[in-house]
Amino acid sequence: MADSKKISSSSTAEYFSKNLQQVGFSSQTKAVLTTLKEAVDNALDACEEHGITPDLKVEIDRLGPGSIKNSERIRVVVEDNGPGIDGEDLPKVFGEYLASSKFGRGRCTRGQQGIGISAATTWAQLTCAQGAKVVSKTKAMRKAVSALIEVDIKNNKGVMKNRETFDWDRPHGTRVEFMFDGRIQINGEAGLLNYLLGSTLVNPHLNLEYKLPDQEWQKVERVTQEMPMIPEATEPHPHTMKLGEFIAHSHLFGRQKVSAWLKKGFSRIGDSVIDEIAKKKEFGLPKSMFEKLVDQLPDGELNKLFSAIQNTELKAPSTNSVLSIGEDALAKSIQRLGKVDYFSVVTRKPTICDFKPVQVEVAIARLESKSSEADSPVQLLRFANRVPLQFDKSACAIAQSITSVNWRSYGLAQPKDSFPTGPYIFAVSVVSPFIKFKNASKETIDASDELVEEIRRALMQAGQKLSRYIKAEHKANELEEKIRYIEQFGPILVEGLARITNAKEDQKKRARDGLLKILGRDATATEKELTDANKKLEIQKAKDAEE
Amino acid sequence: MSTRKGGKLQSEIPGLSKALCMKLLSDLERGKRPVLHATKCSLDNAIYNHKVGYFTPGGKKVATELNVSSVKKMSRAVFMLEILLRNIDTGAVNTKRELYYISKGETKGTPSLKPLDFTEQGESDDTIDFICELLECYREEMNCYANDRGGQTYSQNLVVTETLPDGDTAVVDLSKLGTSPFQPKNRPQNLRLSMKKKIDFCLIVESEGTANTLVANGMTKRHNCIVMGAQGVPSNAVRGWAKLIQDQLSVPMYFFGDLDAYTMQNIFRTLKAGSAASLIRNQDYSAPDVRFLGVLPEDIKKYDLFDYPVKENDAQEVRALKKADDALRNDPFFQDKKNKGSADILRWLMKNKRRCEQQAYFSVNPKDPTMPEKIIIDKIKRGEYV
Repeated sequence: MADSKKISSSSTAEYFSKNLQQVGFSSQTKAVLTTLKEAVDNALDACEEHGITPDLKVEIDRLGPGSIKNSERIRVVVEDNGPGIDGEDLPKVFGEYLASSKFGRGRCTRGQQGIGISAATTWAQLTCAQGAKVVSKTKAMRKAVSALIEVDIKNNKGVMKNRETFDWDRPHGTRVEFMFDGRIQINGEAGLLNYLLGSTLVNPHLNLEYKLPDQEWQKVERVTQEMPMIPEATEPHPHTMKLGEFIAHSHLFGRQKVSAWLKKGFSRIGDSVIDEIAKKKEFGLPKSMFEKLVDQLPDGELNKLFSAIQNTELKAPSTNSVLSIGEDALAKSIQRLGKVDYFSVVTRKPTICDFKPVQVEVAIARLESKSSEADSPVQLLRFANRVPLQFDKSACAIAQSITSVNWRSYGLAQPKDSFPTGPYIFAVSVVSPFIKFKNASKETIDASDELVEEIRRALMQAGQKLSRYIKAEHKANELEEKIRYIEQFGPILVEGLARITNAKEDQKKRARDGLLKILGRDATATEKELTDANKKLEIQKAKDAEE
Repeated sequence: MSTRKGGKLQSEIPGLSKALCMKLLSDLERGKRPVLHATKCSLDNAIYNHKVGYFTPGGKKVATELNVSSVKKMSRAVFMLEILLRNIDTGAVNTKRELYYISKGETKGTPSLKPLDFTEQGESDDTIDFICELLECYREEMNCYANDRGGQTYSQNLVVTETLPDGDTAVVDLSKLGTSPFQPKNRPQNLRLSMKKKIDFCLIVESEGTANTLVANGMTKRHNCIVMGAQGVPSNAVRGWAKLIQDQLSVPMYFFGDLDAYTMQNIFRTLKAGSAASLIRNQDYSAPDVRFLGVLPEDIKKYDLFDYPVKENDAQEVRALKKADDALRNDPFFQDKKNKGSADILRWLMKNKRRCEQQAYFSVNPKDPTMPEKIIIDKIKRGEYV
């Protein structure tokens, strides 16, 4: 046993400051990406919560060598046109762990726990001795407030320094600036560009301006004015809870009857369920128990009630709480990735996986700019609640689903047990109010059998749609090839035969004409196949448009 | 068209080629799609009759119709045929590799032929084989030879007479070659054999090195015999040479090689009965009298030989063992009751999954370098072969 005198408790901030690797700061390159990601997530969530179509400006600079070995001093600035934050809330938002407006609400927002942005402030503070520089203005404020926010690590409190007010030439918004040590990776799977590309894809309503080091400002215009409808949270389903959570949940409801608490506090529990439990003698929970007040119910009774509910059949949770980008918006948004040869998008109906509502969307596009990468694996963009996931791909449910599909049947090349290859981008988005991640840094979605199967189905549907394009293209190539063959080899064959047989010129001419006629018939047959393939494609396009 | 022997066919090739090309041309003139028929060279078209002794082609033909997909193949065949006909005309000979480069030289020099260019030798080899199957002739009759490989032969009593292209004859007395072997040519049909003294047997050894050792240790001095090294899977030269010895000298022929599935199926069977891939030339390229002297499964016990299990990472052997099962069911050679002995060895190999090399005879009495020879002679005397 440990000596009790030596045991001390530490604050949440203290814990995270020592374990930043758990929340995305495990390497210098990841630190840059995570900081950017947390700032962008917060900005987008804030805009969407308040029905504002987001305009984001992102600027990333190298300022010189950093204090850590082999690092650079990096500046990340993210500015949004969101609702703004009141001055007194700034320390909470940027300097206090678990101070979130979203924690455990069961909504499909990007942020969930309120850890990320405070971790970014901590990283800046640890490597550069200064926290986050914030400027913010709400509609109600006459002047904008600017301040430096730091984390009081000992007490998990945000501290505001250098507070000033000034006239800001915009009605509302927030600008946050971090200076810290890290290393910039622009390209590649874990690169900044991939993150920005992914973010624009799944946020068709986003206007993004960005500047990466040594590059010009880039602008990606929004393709829709429509804001995604963020559905209201649904109450938790009792079958997704553990006993401790169930008891804790009971404390939130104060002085209420048990029956009222069950009906209001949970989804899928109504009078008929309560009657069924009361009727079953083996549960030992008479009807009168449901009339008692919940705050006076002893833990033993709560235990009994919990196990009775677990052993009673309930309807699956509602899928109303999930949000989708939609095939239309995805189809428009995918055009922003570059010159797209063709694409297919699939939005699956919301469903239940592992007793949690979930919705999967897939977009596959073939890009002209990637035509040189015919033999490389396809580029994968993974999203969880519309946030790009860029690390630890192999363990992710999305990657496993892709490998499990036989892409060869859709006309793509695919080495055994691997990703398909070719100049394609595969974007897979999983949305759920309760995504099960493998770690707190939210880099990998847990690969449960049910979720993998659901993603797999979406991928197969997208593959089927895509295969019509590939087939039509294949036919076109075939036709082109056939015509080329006829032109190339026809005369050579006739000349060769004529030389061996000493044929006369008129014989040669007749043979050449005959050959062209024979081979021309083959080309005409292929041409017909091409027309048929194109017709099928048009029918599919029309069907997609109707849907 | 039937397969014929020796130089006779070579003189017919230009005429046959011309007739074939005329047919193609006249079909084209009439707008009719030409179809070429070639003998199907595969096991499902191989007939084995122990009275004949080697695989002969069945009635199956492969039809190649001229269409967009085959126009390149046909153009290449006509192109290569022209080169081969030129060789026959001038008497020039070439290896397959050389023909590959000659064809590259032709396409380089004539821009309009550029699309025919072979990117690797396998493509030009396939084209040559296709022509041979169409005309049902030996590659050697087209003056196209493989590199000389294997078949080094030693004897104190064998005399070889070669008729040269200019009509001269050359006589080679093998006993006058010292320790140098006689190397048979790709067209052994031009050779005539005679014996200074009666030769008792011909021994074909899988390993050319071991054949050399047997001779160096005095085997051909002590016995009136011919010793030949096969050097693995027998080349056309080795096969034709063995056939010539069999036909012209009528001496008993024995094969001495490893006890494993690869040797039995790919080396011994090819030597004795030819192969499915060369159906049209097995007649002149197989020696049906050859017997399998060993290593026999019973030799392992009898001479206490070192044997060992087939290693899982030995891809060639593992594949040969798998193929053995198929051979027992589908290969007419192993199915023929006359070859029950060979089939039984395959069954033994599949069951025991062990192999024993020919060199294991050297372990019987390490101090006596002639021990393998003694065992071989002993086995021949006792009739211990299949």
